[in-house]
Amino acid sequence: MKLNFDVQQARTVEFGVGRDDKRGQTFQLLPVDGDVQGALREMVEATWAAMQEDTDSPPKYEASEKHASSEYLHMALADELAMRMRELHQANNMAVDSAALSDPAQIFCYFARMTDRKGRRLTALRRASQFKGILKGRLIHLVSDALKLVEDQVFKLDTDFDLLIDSEAVHILRPSGFEFAGNLQEAILQAAPKNIKTIEKDLPFVDFAAIGDYAAKHPRAARYLASICGQETKSIDKGALRKLCKQTGVEAQVVNGKITIADGHEMGFLEVLDRRRYELELVKGSPERFRAASRRKIEN
Amino acid sequence: MVLSSISPLFILWAIRGNDLIPDRYFLTFCTLMVVVPNAFLWLRVRTTKKLQERREISVGQADDHREHLLVYLFAMLLPLYAANLNTWRELGAALAAFGFIVFLFWHLNLHYMNLVFAAAGYRVFTIYPPADNNPLSVKASVVLITRRVTIVTGEQLTVYRLSDTVYLEIDT
Repeated sequence: MKLNFDVQQARTVEFGVGRDDKRGQTFQLLPVDGDVQGALREMVEATWAAMQEDTDSPPKYEASEKHASSEYLHMALADELAMRMRELHQANNMAVDSAALSDPAQIFCYFARMTDRKGRRLTALRRASQFKGILKGRLIHLVSDALKLVEDQVFKLDTDFDLLIDSEAVHILRPSGFEFAGNLQEAILQAAPKNIKTIEKDLPFVDFAAIGDYAAKHPRAARYLASICGQETKSIDKGALRKLCKQTGVEAQVVNGKITIADGHEMGFLEVLDRRRYELELVKGSPERFRAASRRKIEN
Repeated sequence: MVLSSISPLFILWAIRGNDLIPDRYFLTFCTLMVVVPNAFLWLRVRTTKKLQERREISVGQADDHREHLLVYLFAMLLPLYAANLNTWRELGAALAAFGFIVFLFWHLNLHYMNLVFAAAGYRVFTIYPPADNNPLSVKASVVLITRRVTIVTGEQLTVYRLSDTVYLEIDT
């Protein structure tokens, strides 16, 4: 996968922070000098290098998947779950607030926005952990031959970003950073009713009423729904679905021609739809059931 | 920056002179009021270039505001120039009026009306952002000082920041 941006040809480098204040989460730009701009450019290069070191063809981010702390994934910028990152990337003439760092405790992320000579835009974002952490620590620096406490407020930039956004995709290096800054938990919960409707259209033979109620209260179920939406559901065979449910211990009955899931088996059913429950029988007569927290499709 | 917009008035006042205050004080005051604000403006432009305080602004609509210079000339420069400064009361009234104008220029963000820029061939545009539903896009306009004659809708401009609302395009 390629980055639709030329870091070497960056024409402008802007810096901003995300704050959690009375108005909710807001994003503001801050003026920074050439040295900081250079450091931000280096961070972008380091992030892209780390991604390339991981893989050339990153898998798609899946909300239901247990990802590693550092793993190169991608998500289409048009994806509904990328809405917050899309808004940040596509915002025009963002507000400049020189006082945005006046209350550093409110800062939850910092970001850089760049444009290259072709007018393409790149946004890079990092969850603010070290950036804020320095506030709690005490720094010393060497003056003549004696160490002295640094009295000023100091903000520390990290060595790389959690994610990069170009015109086509969100390139994710740290999935947890993406989930945190993208407010994904809330987005997934909000999208649950819409996702159920989408799946319902493809599977008219399943009663989703109980699953809808369950997903409204259980973020993990809402994550499964988001993940199922991104998979093939249209051609799922009713008989095959019932068979897999039975094999993997998910209790389901047919009521009025529809598969109805028994209470307490909602998660199991969603795991079946999300291709996470399976049975193996390597030892003849001793079938084993498994639940996959993480799985990847074998393409060939 | 506001005072640099108003500095031509002090050139006119210095030429006219004043019966109440000896020339050496009055001329020194007027010279300072011309030199210091413009030196500050020059320093600001120099600093923004040195620190590379560049940013990208998207153009939704651009309005040329050349007529603002006429408003500036007739509404501020000429009435204050014509004010009688030969009694203490009138001098005090003129200075009070001057204070109100400085406040209004600052408050209404009109400090980009600068004859120095006009003399150097710069024009002033108000740039409105493109209309979109993005909650993070700024809806307010900014002022751009540029040598361009026209600015086309949809253009992306790389500009230097003089203040949060006033930008300068140096290379076109």
